[in-house]
Amino acid sequence: MSAQPAVKKSSITAKTVEMPSAPPRPAARTLAEVAPELTGMLRLLTCGSVDDGKSTLIGRLLWDATDLYDDQRETLRRGKKVDGGNPDFSLLMDGLVAEREQGITIDIAWRYFDTADRRFVVIDSPGHEQYTRNMASGASHADLAIMLIDARHGIKHQTRRHAAILDLVGVKRVILAVNKMDLAGWSEETFRQIEEDFRKLSWRFGFWEAIAIPVAAVSGDNVAQRSENMTWYKGPTLLQHLEELPSRGTESTGPFRFPVQTVLRDVRNDFRALAGTVSSGSIRVGETVADALSKRSARVKRIATMDRDLEEAHQGQAVAIELDIDLDIARGAVLSKADSKPVAARRLETRLVWLNETAYDPRGAYLLRTATDLVPVSSLEIRSLLDLETLATSPSSVCNVNDIAIAHVALGRGAAIDTFADAPETGSFMLVDAISGASIAGGVVTEVSAEAAATGEDTFVLTRASLERGLCADIKDRPEAEPEFRRRANEVALILRAAGVAVEIESPPDYSI
Amino acid sequence: MTVAISHLDLLEAESIHIFREAAAQFRKPVLLYSIGKDSTVLLHLARKAFWPGRVPFPVLHIDTKWKFRDMIAFRDKTARDFDLDLIVHTNEEGLKKGINPIDYAPSVYTDVMKTVPLKEALDKYAFDAAFGGARRDEEASRAKERVFSFRAEGHRWDPRKQRPEMWRLLNGRLGAGETVRVFPLSNWTERDIWRYILREKLEVVPLYMAKERPVVVRNGQIIMRDDDRLPLKPGEKVEMRKIRFRTLGCYPLTAAVLSDAEDMESVVAETLGARTSERQGRLIDHDQTGAMERKKQEGYF
Repeated sequence: MSAQPAVKKSSITAKTVEMPSAPPRPAARTLAEVAPELTGMLRLLTCGSVDDGKSTLIGRLLWDATDLYDDQRETLRRGKKVDGGNPDFSLLMDGLVAEREQGITIDIAWRYFDTADRRFVVIDSPGHEQYTRNMASGASHADLAIMLIDARHGIKHQTRRHAAILDLVGVKRVILAVNKMDLAGWSEETFRQIEEDFRKLSWRFGFWEAIAIPVAAVSGDNVAQRSENMTWYKGPTLLQHLEELPSRGTESTGPFRFPVQTVLRDVRNDFRALAGTVSSGSIRVGETVADALSKRSARVKRIATMDRDLEEAHQGQAVAIELDIDLDIARGAVLSKADSKPVAARRLETRLVWLNETAYDPRGAYLLRTATDLVPVSSLEIRSLLDLETLATSPSSVCNVNDIAIAHVALGRGAAIDTFADAPETGSFMLVDAISGASIAGGVVTEVSAEAAATGEDTFVLTRASLERGLCADIKDRPEAEPEFRRRANEVALILRAAGVAVEIESPPDYSI
Repeated sequence: MTVAISHLDLLEAESIHIFREAAAQFRKPVLLYSIGKDSTVLLHLARKAFWPGRVPFPVLHIDTKWKFRDMIAFRDKTARDFDLDLIVHTNEEGLKKGINPIDYAPSVYTDVMKTVPLKEALDKYAFDAAFGGARRDEEASRAKERVFSFRAEGHRWDPRKQRPEMWRLLNGRLGAGETVRVFPLSNWTERDIWRYILREKLEVVPLYMAKERPVVVRNGQIIMRDDDRLPLKPGEKVEMRKIRFRTLGCYPLTAAVLSDAEDMESVVAETLGARTSERQGRLIDHDQTGAMERKKQEGYF
């Protein structure tokens, strides 16, 4: 040992140490007590500013209703006290605030807690104007949002802005927590006025379920415990409401969609199956499924998982589907039922939120990432921007970070796409910078068309034959290499587009005829 | 229509989805395997994602040569049982220089024997994506981590270069020089890991279960003496005690706890009933404030 002069050896002091006695064992707790079966999961986004008491509200919820560790409780009990001698509950969320101050650009913090029978995931994102993108990306993961306001100030522009972002990314359930009711004299009149304003706002955005709850986060009124100061309020407490909402993954509505992620093979057992997650609806063995791109269909022979075969697969389940005939389907395909297919889309009307510091460039090389496909964009045209204060749109051809834009997208080839209203997971996308790989914008499809934009005289068609001759000679006529074929075609299209050439990629052969 | 899916089913499906996305999007992924409980769950989910095929990428273990013997035996058995393509990599340079956890400060040891060889191995095999078992609930600095966590050249983690993730969409298109760490267990909690191990009846390293083992007490911590590389200080004596480990790291950096929990069910009951936060047993995290954040910037997992 010679090469460590800079390193100080751990100092050693000889000391007789007693073997610590066995930790005091409280009455042994059973597994059912320490890890009860949870019956559901709910992801909730919290929006509102720190001033509205967001951290305090969530902290109070953790304190009252969850399984905090003893050392966390003790730290809080010993810490500084706030109004009324209560511990500072916001400290339970505080680590996250400090994180934010480090200048993290897009910052969503995730926090997990369990009540008696449910897992809650709190997605915390900053609420200020300059953070529209953070809130939009956070909200896209949420099953519901808690919008927090100060009872003394009522519904402000910020609340409207938040509602518009929630609407954009598809959050349909909203709770308005009217906080600091103690400072508003526990006034029913104040609350009813806010509730009325909120009702109007909710109609405008078509939330499925919107409820206003009067709370005082610091004292815990109507958080987990029914308030004795507001006996006029007969609705649920915040916790009650959270526990009654349908759990994530229990609603299997909508048309069946199965974006194919990859093909699984086992040559020993002659097994070939399409792997993916059911993104909408459900499917049973024996039903006929179709591929919108090749227009071919087949019957489901088997729905397999490592544990067991299933008779039926629902939204949210990751499975492998074996078909009765081999459709040569590859990653990027979306299986559906024959009577309700996604569109083999060439043109999209979209609403998107611009996430990147680099502004929109009409000549930029962009890719559209759908559920499992990656498609070259042949043109991206910004039409207008949404003003979040007035909710009005105004024509624009520029788009910068945090802007919400209405945009037209033309694709270099067909891709299986839905409207967001029909099937959210196959109706949403990320716009990707082809060079840096960065996620430039996230958006939802409002209209989808299978018709390609009229091919101009100067549009170069990248045919399969031209690719097979050289670049893809090594993989031609090999269906299993279709993803690689597509990847190479994409890259060629991007290079040509960057050079100013309008490009269209020829689709794989249509087998429907 | 309404169907009931338990929260573990939802987490499992999400992880399988992430594994399949990454395997399809990246050219040459690898699974970082640390032999502990989180790695066990990670590997199990990888097997589910690609069943009935083999796990379609290699499994990499960074061997500091200071792992408990039981861990190495378990690693090799796992690789055999599941027909894995196991790569074991050690920082030979560090080994030659005799960098060890007994004579060196934990931060130095970790850097030389863990972080450096991890980067070495990723570069040597030109992996563009590495699956890891990190969870967002582990620590405040991980609460904001992405599922696809991008690393610039030299494996640097730049918070400003992290990509927003929306809906279930995962964007793995790499920029020049970039690689990615993929975290399929992002949304799992410690409790979920244990519950899932029970539910799936997964085999774990026997050290998680209580047994009479030779220990010494040092600075109030119970240190297992796995072999005679742990020199005794004056006054110390080796005793047989019934102990187990809550987390498994390097011997002797990982302290044990006294316990009677001999089977998985009582281990889980005891662990989750402990009522204090996780990772107390891992000395390395107490070494320095903000240790995890710093280690991450340097390329530690």
